[in-house]
Amino acid sequence: MLFNSLDFLIFLPVVFVLYWFVFKKSLKAQNILVIAASYVFYGWWDWRFLILIFFSTVLDFFVGQQIFKNQDNKQRAKYWLWVSVAFNLGLLGFFKYYNFFVDSFIEAVSALGYNIKSVWTLRIILPVGISFYTFQTMSYSFDIYYKKLEPTKNFISFAAFVAFFPQLVAGPIERASNLLKQINTRRSFKYEQASSGLKLILWGFFKKLVIADSLAPIVDDIFTNYTDYPASTLILGVSLFSFQVYGDFSGYTDIAIGTAKLFGVELMSNFKFPNFSRNIAEYWQRWHISLSTWFRHYLYIPMGGSRVSKLKSLRNIAVIFLVSGLWHGANWTFVFWGGIHALLYMPVFLMGRNRIYADNVIAERTWLPSITEIFQVLLTFILVTFSRIFFRSPTLSSSFDFIERIGSNFYYEPYMHPMGYRMFDFYLLIALFTFYEYLIRRDERNPFKFKSPVVRFLLYTLVVLSILLFYDDGVNRSFIYFQF
Amino acid sequence: MLLILLLLEVIVRVFHLYTEDPPRFIDAYGVEKRVPDHSGYAVTGNRNQNFSEFHINKAGFNSYREFTPSADKFELALVGDSFIEGFHQDVSNSIGKQIENQTEGIEVYEYGYAGYDFANQMHLVHAYKNDFQLIDQIILYLNYDNDLKRGVYKPNKDRIQMLSSTLFKIRDNIKLLAYGSKIGIIEPLKKLAQRGVAFNDTEEGYRTNELTLDSEDEELKRDQKRIANFKSLIHLYGFDKSKTTLLLDRRKTSKRFLDFCRNNGIRYIDFSSSFENSKRPTTLIYDHHWNAHGRALIAKEIADYVKETQKH
Repeated sequence: MLFNSLDFLIFLPVVFVLYWFVFKKSLKAQNILVIAASYVFYGWWDWRFLILIFFSTVLDFFVGQQIFKNQDNKQRAKYWLWVSVAFNLGLLGFFKYYNFFVDSFIEAVSALGYNIKSVWTLRIILPVGISFYTFQTMSYSFDIYYKKLEPTKNFISFAAFVAFFPQLVAGPIERASNLLKQINTRRSFKYEQASSGLKLILWGFFKKLVIADSLAPIVDDIFTNYTDYPASTLILGVSLFSFQVYGDFSGYTDIAIGTAKLFGVELMSNFKFPNFSRNIAEYWQRWHISLSTWFRHYLYIPMGGSRVSKLKSLRNIAVIFLVSGLWHGANWTFVFWGGIHALLYMPVFLMGRNRIYADNVIAERTWLPSITEIFQVLLTFILVTFSRIFFRSPTLSSSFDFIERIGSNFYYEPYMHPMGYRMFDFYLLIALFTFYEYLIRRDERNPFKFKSPVVRFLLYTLVVLSILLFYDDGVNRSFIYFQF
Repeated sequence: MLLILLLLEVIVRVFHLYTEDPPRFIDAYGVEKRVPDHSGYAVTGNRNQNFSEFHINKAGFNSYREFTPSADKFELALVGDSFIEGFHQDVSNSIGKQIENQTEGIEVYEYGYAGYDFANQMHLVHAYKNDFQLIDQIILYLNYDNDLKRGVYKPNKDRIQMLSSTLFKIRDNIKLLAYGSKIGIIEPLKKLAQRGVAFNDTEEGYRTNELTLDSEDEELKRDQKRIANFKSLIHLYGFDKSKTTLLLDRRKTSKRFLDFCRNNGIRYIDFSSSFENSKRPTTLIYDHHWNAHGRALIAKEIADYVKETQKH
């Protein structure tokens, strides 16, 4: 079920009413409702894949208890941890990467002169959100193994934690220490929390419907027909893709966090205005935070993190970025994208500047940013945007061709919207959106945090008006990160 | 929430984001038309992308001029559906006005009405025969695929009733709703209603818009049916071949029908080549109607045709 569908518009109030009015008195009943609602939410797409979620839930619930029981026997605990990792990565490996590895193997063998027909590739559907919920359940096993968490004895709570519908298909990838703890605790309806949730949902819809969906036809056109366009249009295409993917994914996250708030649950933040990052390290502290912290906690730190030699630290950085690239999709383009980010991150790390912006934002104590900050933000945006050529292109060769054409067709020509709309509208939209995000840059969970009720009222109106103005019935409204 | 909706209503009205659909009725002659003496603006696209003024004259059609045919003037009647009605261009620069600009001493009467098919057109010419007897040339716009589906005219009372129903009146008076409806924002609700229908009528509910390729036999049957409808209508209402011409796009018209016209001395203006050769788009991008350039091409085709026939 898509957040931006009529189905969800009906589904959400129904679940809300049942949750707070019918099952209010029993935590167990509320959690059973959460599981049922989540399974309906997921099964709306394809009910057959519910079985994967269910198996993953059962296995990790059992494994968690075994790891805990065997805490004194490190070997046995490790064995059970590997069972969880193998099962979850096995699911991912089969459904997401099987064909990729088979194809890559065949290509490699062909390059050596052997001709193997691709008989091993299978027609496999990628289950929506598999990368998200497998990582979430693995984090549970890891946390128990590292003694950061005690396993729950309540299967219903655990199943609700795994399948919690607001974040089931595209995150944020939650830790049990945050989400499971809340699911195990009695929730009470708080007006402030629900109201703040609705505001986040509205802002998320704005980012999805107005920013991402209105830019999608332009980006699709430019990337599909890139051989027909000059450099100016290609640069425009990839720049707008930066805004599209940000609007799409952070919009989804805002709706997820807002929806969770309606049920008395606080999810972690996943985006903190990454477009205002002053270097690539800050960017990764602000973009898809739940994934980067997952890799940090469960891959980077166990490998030694930065507490090993510089050379090994660089190796660790390379590993997490390459794996992060592969996490996004079974395609070398994503691995290459991860590789570019690793190369951009390494100099920042070597200069010791990877944590300097962790606790502050651009123009921390001033109204306007300094010239240096503007330069830093622009440079980071350009580098990140450049890397997105690989993220968006279907193949490595088309990515390189795209870049080559930026160099060889270096001239300007005005771009005409494929559906005939005025491009000026979109430029103005992006400029106003960026300006507004700058204004609210200190608090990603309160997009309408203005003291004056008149200002807030005008903002709500403007946001709804923008949705009306930019709504396009013909656009495919699925979320980009669903495919990951 | 209510205040937000009220403010949105004001904004939609102030910036005229909504489109106006002048009221329709069926007159004493059974002709579907607009209620006379209405002016307003038609809007296409969700950000006022195409904005044009219309004026419904005393005859009930969108035209900057009144229709006063007489024996001492040269008049041309242009009859057709929404393409001729032309809510996609200012009424002061309509196809008729452009023909008048290009042809000396001519008055063009645009009898355009959204939804007119060939039966509507023939009925109109017959119903207003006193006027049409005075009119020197008649051009009927024929969209072959849509306009020949019936061989008998019957006014569409259901549509008029539906448009004057309370539900539609509410939609038309709440401009925010009119705007939302136009841009398709309430489309999911309609789909939901269709799904509701599906429970009772599965065939209707799950009908898809899949393009099906006509087999030759089916195509033949379809052409025969359409030609029979055409024959039936001209037999019923009469067809003055000396002054009536069809306006059509050969690319979208069956060869059999074109052969039928040629064999029976029915003249037609085919505008397909000028559209094909045009380097600029000829239709609006937000919908399939002719844009200003397409309408200029149509006006030129007709003006050239009129000048050519006047020579003979």
